[in-house]
Amino acid sequence: MTTTAPLLEDTVLGPKAGGFYRRQNIGTGMAAGIIIGFLGWLISHAFLQGSNWGSDMVVTVTLTAWVIGFNIGIGSFNAIIRWILGHDEDHEDQLYGAGVGQGWHRYFKFCTDHKVVGTQYLVLVMVLFGVGGTLAMMIRTQLLTPTMGLFSPQTYNAIVSIHGMVMIIATIVMVSGPFANFIMPIMIGAKDMAFPRLNALSFWMFFAAIPPILASFWLGGVDSGWTTYAPLSVQSMPGQDAFSITICTFVISVTVAGVNTLVTVITMRAEGMTMARMPIFVWGSIIAGGLGLYAMPAFLMAHSALITDRVVGTSMYAPAQGGAGWLYENCFWIMGHPEVYVILMPAVGALIEIASTFSRKPVFSYKVMVGGLLGVAGLSIMVWAHHMFTTGWAPTLGSPFMLTTELISIPTGIIFLCIIGTIWRGSIWTRLPMYFLYLFLWNFIIGGITGIYLSDVPVDGFFHGNMFVTAHFHFTLLGGAMIGAAGAVAYWFPKMTARMLNERVGKVAFWMIAIGIQVTYYGQFLEGFQGMPRRVVNYAPIFQNANQISTGGAYLLMAGWIVFLYAIVSSWMHGEKAPANPWHAKSLEWMVPTPVPLENFLVDPIVTSDPYGYGEGGDSESESSGDASDLEPSGPSTNMGASH
Amino acid sequence: MSSEHRHERHGHRVERHEQKRQLFSEEIEGLFQGGPIWKRPAGKVGIIWLLMTIVGVVIGLVVPSHILPVERATEAHHVTLTIVAFTVVAAPVAAFVYAAALYSLIAWRKKQPTNGEPPPDGPPIRGRTVPSAIWMSVSLVLVAFLLIWGMSELATDVSPQANSIRVKVTGQQWLWTFSYPGTKIESRELVIPESRQVVFNVTSLDVTHGFWPVQLGVQIDANPGLVTTIMASPSKLGPIDIRCTQLCGLEHAYMYTHGRIVTDKQFSAWLKRHGATPAQVASYRITPN
Repeated sequence: MTTTAPLLEDTVLGPKAGGFYRRQNIGTGMAAGIIIGFLGWLISHAFLQGSNWGSDMVVTVTLTAWVIGFNIGIGSFNAIIRWILGHDEDHEDQLYGAGVGQGWHRYFKFCTDHKVVGTQYLVLVMVLFGVGGTLAMMIRTQLLTPTMGLFSPQTYNAIVSIHGMVMIIATIVMVSGPFANFIMPIMIGAKDMAFPRLNALSFWMFFAAIPPILASFWLGGVDSGWTTYAPLSVQSMPGQDAFSITICTFVISVTVAGVNTLVTVITMRAEGMTMARMPIFVWGSIIAGGLGLYAMPAFLMAHSALITDRVVGTSMYAPAQGGAGWLYENCFWIMGHPEVYVILMPAVGALIEIASTFSRKPVFSYKVMVGGLLGVAGLSIMVWAHHMFTTGWAPTLGSPFMLTTELISIPTGIIFLCIIGTIWRGSIWTRLPMYFLYLFLWNFIIGGITGIYLSDVPVDGFFHGNMFVTAHFHFTLLGGAMIGAAGAVAYWFPKMTARMLNERVGKVAFWMIAIGIQVTYYGQFLEGFQGMPRRVVNYAPIFQNANQISTGGAYLLMAGWIVFLYAIVSSWMHGEKAPANPWHAKSLEWMVPTPVPLENFLVDPIVTSDPYGYGEGGDSESESSGDASDLEPSGPSTNMGASH
Repeated sequence: MSSEHRHERHGHRVERHEQKRQLFSEEIEGLFQGGPIWKRPAGKVGIIWLLMTIVGVVIGLVVPSHILPVERATEAHHVTLTIVAFTVVAAPVAAFVYAAALYSLIAWRKKQPTNGEPPPDGPPIRGRTVPSAIWMSVSLVLVAFLLIWGMSELATDVSPQANSIRVKVTGQQWLWTFSYPGTKIESRELVIPESRQVVFNVTSLDVTHGFWPVQLGVQIDANPGLVTTIMASPSKLGPIDIRCTQLCGLEHAYMYTHGRIVTDKQFSAWLKRHGATPAQVASYRITPN
């Protein structure tokens, strides 16, 4: 232990004066959220219930009060309140805030340690996937026969809409939440994120965003899909208000996290960690963060204007009063397409780390690869209107948007080239993460090619709003990005939990998932080819076979994810203890001890090469961090920490 | 860092560079050496690639045209054609990725160690200019093909033909109404003649709907307060399914109606039967030009 250790442990001996701050946790957060939310309900109910927009106003005020109240209760604003009151946090408070000495309790608190935040994200994302997956199973069960009658159309529409948005929210943070928080700072040799309190705020905002969207089931539901196109969404039940509150809160969370990621990477890299030496995953994270900063404000704008239309009677989207539904659609898709790459970039980054580690080869054409990632991200902000080819908006822009959309296949192809170049001639180590890389390659090619059909304006005239689109984006987001996230879980599990993932169970899950995806979405491609529209509660009998194939596959897929979840949970609870560097990888996160100590590095690392020096002589491992011992002979190098 | 140290590093780098060059030439030779072509690595990858490409091309040529709805308009035919063309063009690319990934997995996978240690490191290949350049050129050419294909298709349907007929389509929750300008006909069923281009002027009374006459292969949204236009040239007599593609509320799934493509004679008779005056029928009659 280094000299800082005793100090860390002393801080929690007995509550100090002003101990209220130390009692805050998720319980006080919920209590404050419910109480303040209830106050909001009382006040808005008393004053506004009778008015035209009454129930919408009541829902909006109540749920906004919940979000704010929850964050007050858990302590999100403690630091700033104390700063305003003139007694800023001292060092001891900060150590307490980082969760020192609180054991597992710190996972239920406003904790500024990036590793705690990463773990919190991982668990919450898995919970959300459970919710979204259950809704998906309800949809697929309803579609088992042409007139199943399991749900009323209203319930069904709500299930479809909330499945969509819950999954989108979960996928946006599924890699950049857990891994860009836990792993990325260690990869660049930082002690924490640049803004640890904002980091915790982004998580608890995300947490507070979840109850409203689930509450919308009991507020009349949402009947216009995850896209909630106006003017239908302006007219629908108060569930829409809850849905929009979730989005506004979530946008704050993602924006805060994006700024944090960018600033961390720009300012907190270790000595010698030049931009060109950063692991590709770090590139993926900052590209996602930057794209999020571009995309999310449009989302906030679309939905805050939707709320004002519904609650106070503005007419942003009301055609008869000078508004336009197309305004909403544009705002939505200006968010919607970059968002796909906010989801994808970190996942691809993680997969490239996996490709290098498990092929025992350097990343192929590092700079070209980074260029490919940047190219995809850059083009992605110029393609949004391909979601609107059939709306009638700006028909003359069909060709330019077709151009930009098809151009994306060039940088995407470069990414593929570099992945293939990395595994080509590698000595492939067939561990679970590598399985997911191969599945990603298979799926994403299919998702990509079906995307090319949709980029063609005339073909989109047939496939738009059709199950083909559904199958296409599930292939990219589930078959591509989520498989990347599963690979990332398998890869970094030993570092995050200090235990090895049970690969035997994991591989069973893998095959169920792999086959499940193919069956489910080939079925949906077939539905699309046959001409079945999306989001229908009942359908014509000609589509029955395709739907039954898809539903069968979906059950297998869900079972596969449950087995994967079992592998995660059981390994986390009583898996084999993990060494610091089970994959013999070379990036910095594997050089620190497991479990990772507070502030990660006992001695600041000095980086002399990128982390891909496989097969380039024995010195590459020490190059990452070994120089630290040259500088400070008495202190342990990070490398020593790794090799116990 | 001493200058000696730096010098040493420089020497190291030169040495590594030399090593890499040697590796590369060995690698290229290795790909093309070793007995008959089908036993060399390049040959094996080529064979896997060719087989997968053939599978992809056959799927592209056979499957879409069998599972797509009957084409009843030239637009629908173009959709099928484009899907087939894009599949055929994409098949070799996909097959190449699959073949390279599969071959790497089969051929170069070392015996998996059982002690938890990784297999020995692979060759330190940090990038190759030639394959990257070839890859990028090929993808540029392919994208250029897609673009030229798509744009030439878009260029053909800019303005309506002179003898086209106009049908006004109105969506509302949850039904479609078709009216024929110049007459007082309002119909729940879309009836259009075989030999003339149809221009649909589409609007909505309430929320956004998606007007999709499936067998015509075209689609446009019905927006409240706006009129959007889409054109189709019927090519085959028979029924059409008309579905809504924008989730438009409670009974979106039931927002279905049907239509028919009929002969010109039947069309005139249909107009007359629904109360069009002889003059109005005449105005819809074909005037060959």
